[in-house]
Amino acid sequence: MKLYCLSGHPTLPCNVLKFKSTTIMLDCGLDTTSVLNFLPLPLVHSPRLSKLPSWVCKDGTINLEKELKECAGRVFVDSQPEFCLPERELLDLSTIDVILISNYHCMMALPYITEHTGFTGTVYATEPTLQIGRLLMEELVKFMERVPKAQSATCWKNKEIQRMLPGPLKDAVDVWTWKRSYSMQEVNSALSKVQLVGYSQKVELFGAVQVSPLSSGYSLGSSNWIIQSHHEKVAYVSGSSLLTTHPQPMDQSSLKNSDVLILTGLTQMPTANPDGMLGEFCSNLAMTIRAGGNVLVPCYSSGVIYDLLECLYQFIESANLGTTPFYFISPVANSSLEFSQIFAEIDICHCTVPRKETLIQTNKLKHYPSIHGDFSSEFRQPCVVFTGHPSLRFGDVVHFMELWGKSGLNTIIFTEPDFSYLDALAPYQPLAMKCVYCPIDTRLNFHQVSKLLKEVQPLHVVCPEQYTQPPLTQSHRSDLMLELQPPPMPYRRCSVLNLPFRRRYERVYILPELANSLVPSEIKPGVSMATVSAVLHSKDNKHTLQSVPKPPPVPPSKKRKRVMEEPPVVLAPKPLLSGAVPLEAFLATLQKHGITEVKVEETADGHILHLQADDTLIQLEEDGTHIVCDNNEPLRTTLRDLVLRFLQKL
Amino acid sequence: MLITHTHTHTHVSTMDRECASLLPSVCEVLADSGRSVPDDTSLEKLLDWFTGLTEAGGSLLEACPCLLKFISTVVHNTASDPGVLSFTLRLTGLMAATEDGFKMLQERSVLNQVFNLQHWQEAGLWDDPCLRIGWIQGLRSTLQHPKALSFFVQSDFIDPLLQLQTDTSLFVASAANQMLAHILLFFQKVSSAGSNGVNKKEEDLEPPAITMETSAEYSAVVKGISEYLKESLIPKENTKLHQSLQILKLLALLLAQAGPPLRDKLLQTVTESLEELVTAGCSQLTLPLMDVILAANSSSCPDGRVPGQRVARILSSMLSINNAADLCHAAAALLRRGHHDTVHTARAVRILLLPLDIITGPTLLGTNTTADEHLFSVVEQLKSKTSCISMICVCLTNTPQITLTPPGVLPCPPVLIVTAVVSLLRICSGSSSSSSTGCSEVCRNVIGSGKVQKCALEALTALNSSPGAKEKISEVFTILIQYLDNPDSDPTVLHKSYQALVKWIRVCTDLSLITDQLRQDLVEVVKKRACDMRWEVRDSTVEFLGHLAGVHVSVTLGEEVCDASEALLGGCCTTPLLKEALQDTESYVRASAISALAKTLTHSWQQGAALTEDQTEIVSRLLEILSQDTEGFPRRAVVQYFISWFFSRSSHSPPSSSTSSTSLLMQCVRTVLSQGSADLDWEVKVHTLELAELLLDQAFSAHRGYRKGSDAHCALQHPYGVVSDQAYTLHTHTGTHAEGVQSDLARVVEQGVISALLSGLVDCDRPVALKACRLLITLRETICPLSLGALDATAAMATVSCELLGKGWGQEITKILGMEKSDRALETDISAQRSFSGADGGGDSVTVSEVLRSLSLDERLEVLTQSSDHIHNSPLSLLQDILTASAAHTHPDTKPGQEVIVDCY
Repeated sequence: MKLYCLSGHPTLPCNVLKFKSTTIMLDCGLDTTSVLNFLPLPLVHSPRLSKLPSWVCKDGTINLEKELKECAGRVFVDSQPEFCLPERELLDLSTIDVILISNYHCMMALPYITEHTGFTGTVYATEPTLQIGRLLMEELVKFMERVPKAQSATCWKNKEIQRMLPGPLKDAVDVWTWKRSYSMQEVNSALSKVQLVGYSQKVELFGAVQVSPLSSGYSLGSSNWIIQSHHEKVAYVSGSSLLTTHPQPMDQSSLKNSDVLILTGLTQMPTANPDGMLGEFCSNLAMTIRAGGNVLVPCYSSGVIYDLLECLYQFIESANLGTTPFYFISPVANSSLEFSQIFAEIDICHCTVPRKETLIQTNKLKHYPSIHGDFSSEFRQPCVVFTGHPSLRFGDVVHFMELWGKSGLNTIIFTEPDFSYLDALAPYQPLAMKCVYCPIDTRLNFHQVSKLLKEVQPLHVVCPEQYTQPPLTQSHRSDLMLELQPPPMPYRRCSVLNLPFRRRYERVYILPELANSLVPSEIKPGVSMATVSAVLHSKDNKHTLQSVPKPPPVPPSKKRKRVMEEPPVVLAPKPLLSGAVPLEAFLATLQKHGITEVKVEETADGHILHLQADDTLIQLEEDGTHIVCDNNEPLRTTLRDLVLRFLQKL
Repeated sequence: MLITHTHTHTHVSTMDRECASLLPSVCEVLADSGRSVPDDTSLEKLLDWFTGLTEAGGSLLEACPCLLKFISTVVHNTASDPGVLSFTLRLTGLMAATEDGFKMLQERSVLNQVFNLQHWQEAGLWDDPCLRIGWIQGLRSTLQHPKALSFFVQSDFIDPLLQLQTDTSLFVASAANQMLAHILLFFQKVSSAGSNGVNKKEEDLEPPAITMETSAEYSAVVKGISEYLKESLIPKENTKLHQSLQILKLLALLLAQAGPPLRDKLLQTVTESLEELVTAGCSQLTLPLMDVILAANSSSCPDGRVPGQRVARILSSMLSINNAADLCHAAAALLRRGHHDTVHTARAVRILLLPLDIITGPTLLGTNTTADEHLFSVVEQLKSKTSCISMICVCLTNTPQITLTPPGVLPCPPVLIVTAVVSLLRICSGSSSSSSTGCSEVCRNVIGSGKVQKCALEALTALNSSPGAKEKISEVFTILIQYLDNPDSDPTVLHKSYQALVKWIRVCTDLSLITDQLRQDLVEVVKKRACDMRWEVRDSTVEFLGHLAGVHVSVTLGEEVCDASEALLGGCCTTPLLKEALQDTESYVRASAISALAKTLTHSWQQGAALTEDQTEIVSRLLEILSQDTEGFPRRAVVQYFISWFFSRSSHSPPSSSTSSTSLLMQCVRTVLSQGSADLDWEVKVHTLELAELLLDQAFSAHRGYRKGSDAHCALQHPYGVVSDQAYTLHTHTGTHAEGVQSDLARVVEQGVISALLSGLVDCDRPVALKACRLLITLRETICPLSLGALDATAAMATVSCELLGKGWGQEITKILGMEKSDRALETDISAQRSFSGADGGGDSVTVSEVLRSLSLDERLEVLTQSSDHIHNSPLSLLQDILTASAAHTHPDTKPGQEVIVDCY
């Protein structure tokens, strides 16, 4: 069993598991941090951005005037933003049988995998994951298509040139593989390959393995996966959460007793406790509004925003913010809110329902597809705006950054943990606006995961290498890493791991009539054996023992039987022998039969008896007895019979 | 008209006739095993009453001869309720506490019957802990004279008593321990009487009639008990731990109070066992063992006698036991006891500083910590999370004490301890990097631990007074602000951080020690926390702003003094935040905001500064709260705010004070008095009366005969009280004349004081009525003096009248006055008759002086002074209760055993 690691990003995993003749892709996350190297795409013409100076190489050797712009000491690519895809060279993507999706954040690279690669398999996901994932993809496509950029910068990617660039651009990896956003058509095609599954539903893959999603508690529809055969069990744990605000609690017990547990998607903010961050978010929001400023919350259209809205609903009354307008701007805002309603209602624990509803019904939260249209006429300040994209490179948020960035009264509050807020803000510098970083990541932290692993006791744990050492910036925090016995197997982008397995068995079915014909005999107390003669039938990785077909009854024929056509006579199999030959007793028996001159030699595996008079050897070993006797058939037969006396026949 | 001031004191200690007549039937009820007792507490109350009677010097036997018969009956009836039996044993003990009583009981051989162990055991009643405890307590009461000691010894009670010391019932065991201590301590003079006579001065206190016989008996008891202590101190196996624990408790009790002969005797006997116990190293015994050793050590004379040295040696070995956690506890116990021997104190200090030193990096103990032989064991213990947290907390709790030890004892300058606590706080918040700190395996155990954070913050708060603290201000401020800013700090941690901040600001002689950056950070964080989601945090923040305003600091050395909120937060932050907090959804926060505002404004009130627009706005908001807020706390705080304002103005304001603000204040006071006295919350009403009292003080304090209420009884302390600690000292009128009283009274009426007092008087809440009544009496004594010379004043006063409303309290007062009137219908007082012309609903006008005289204030005061349950607590009602309950239970309809059993949890 092998694991191919196509992504090095611990929370946006993309791994391929080869297990029992199936090839299973686990998630296909899209690393969007690459867009931070690009200039923002303004919705409305921005004089500031268009006036940014081109970057000039110090010695003037390179001229990339059209491609690179400089802002506050950093260099940005002036082009449609591009994403860093999962590794596509490590393995032929057309061989993938199935893709298992754990949550809507981890499927954003799906069109890149399923389209134009020869992929013919099936994608499995829960319904909320599919629907919300579609929204996120649709939003991404709309953000990009709304502001088409004619130019596509490629010169800077030249290895020779890239080496001479400053800052983060120089160190960006695999820039040649970076791709622009997919189209809506590709999204639709990719999503048409998704087959919906429900929690704990068991899906058979070619009879070889069974896969089953388990609730992971992280977001609507999020799941962990169990991949098991009859004798092996692999658990795939992706973004999971133990926080109770989410629709369905995490199913931990089903993860027990796995041979291998692949652990990804732990919190990206191990030192930021979500509750504390929510509190921080609310107090900074209230502080700004009270001082007459606006609050900008760059966020995805699904996920953390649901928590924020829920929390705010309770908070605005107590903070006297009842009259402040809250706006949610996204091309998919309407559907996102609707889906969150629908899916929360379906879930058993529908604790999130009434709050979001109320926030919208009481007209406190208004949602718009974009800043154009109705919004511009109803827009009132001071207000709170939730809008994307959290990278601040595209989407309506770019407009608000340009609008509010110059005033110190306004605040931008970062809640998504995916992007470094300083990098996100870089092309907007200098900035007077107050910046608050409250990353809310509800995924498991190290403390919780240690407890979980203690509970479910996997034999082996595989995880991104980042989890096996303290964070780079906090090397003293030995509490922020996984410490396990045996130590976890770390992986990085392009790793290929051989997963250790102890058991190598297959399940074979035996048909009842065949079972009926068996005659077991007890070889030692409690253990019976029988010999089986049968035909092994294998289909869809399922093995069955069937009776040997009886020769078809010979049709009555007046013709003379032809010898050649007679079915082969099935010979009764020779009985199997079991047991051991006790040395002393055997020697005594030999003596009784007149063989006296026996030289016994001890060997590593047993004994060699040398019958000197007859120049014959008897090798008594643990798993076999050999009689070496040249040209003395009677003696050999006698000896054989003597040996057989001590053995049991089946 | 003459009003007599008589107080009838009801004494529970004398038995009145009525009780005496009821007692025999009560005894009958109790002695009848078929009838049940109302509840356990009634027996306790009965016993308390008897105890009271005895202590007052009465003889129970003489007063109630029926008791003797009762005792005999109960004791012989083994079917008696164990509760009643226990009561009987204790009653007997009480009666035998005097020698006379003892003699009489012994003559009738009651004592032998009552305390006969064998009797109780054979009857199978001894298994009931209730009876065992009765036996012990009965004997304990008896043992007040040598005769009782003889009885005790001759009856061979010592062994059973020692057995009871490890009784399965904790109450019994503890009572037995107390009893053993009592015997040894109470009679200890007996042994010394004949010897050196060291305690000659105390001869008066010695028990009378010491004979050689008693002395011998006492010696026997001492011998028996100390042999037992010696034998049983060492636990034989784990199950006997309980016994050792009990013995240690007893020993600590004895050594702390024993005189030299007894103490030396005890020490001689048990020292060896103590030594053995120390070596045994039993964790659970560490603390009680330490108590014993310290008691022994502090009581042993410093004259270098052998037992003293041996005790010191035991102490030394206690401070070098192997278990690091126990060692910490032992060292902490030593410091807590304020032990003064430098060698041991120094050792204890090292022990307590070592864990801190290990975690925060070696600074406290120098480089030679390897010399601490238990270093390894400490590090090992610290690697386990639970023991690490508990050990660190013990160490932290003791740091303030440690810094106070003499310089020779301390291994480092005290200021380094502050540094260590600050480092620990940094490690706890996860912000410290490991390069500068100690063992990382240990550090990870305290990261994020709320318990350690709280302990460390408490320690830091207390460390503000340690020498050299001033140098650390900036560092301390930095860490505290960091804690306030940390999103993960829980509300208690934030509260403690604020407290620490206030304490440390007091350390500043000038604020130049705090950088602008720090001040700016503090402003930001306070603003943020004022918007926190958790009301507890908002509340702490608002409180902090109030506390800060109460601290006065100088901005730079020797310069002008201003309040700390002004200096630290720049003044522009406090009032807006507090104004915002007045709108908070949580009533506690609103209340805190109001009292914080009062503290913030006190200074400007005292200076008589003109009101700002802001302040006027606040005032109208406060009046709104008083009339509309649904919660009591904010309304109480509003009244307190005006009390504070009024008080500051009247006690400090210079003549030049702004008239506009004075008129606004007086306008508000009128509103507060009328609304506050009509409030539904009794505390609001009491506060309103306090404001009325201030107005009375102001009006009349210059007049002869005016006794300030605040002199007589201290103002109640309330959590949201904003009145400062200083006593009320109002400025006095200058050049007032007796005639002035009339105009002053008129003004007080006009302000609504009299209405507030009268409505308070008829209030159904006792504290309100009591306060109003007291104030009215004070007022009456001022304006209606009894001396004849003041009659003219009285006449003048008769012209001042007040309105009574036709409903509510007005109607009530009118009714009272009407009743008074009809009682004295024959007396002729036409003017008065004119003043209250019936209760027909309309707003009547009455003369204040007449009202004051007609309300029977003194009788009312007397009734109000008695606690509300005084009637139910009287012995008579107790006896009646017992009889009633028994009657109810013997009602033919109730089958025995069917009574309702109340579950007690």
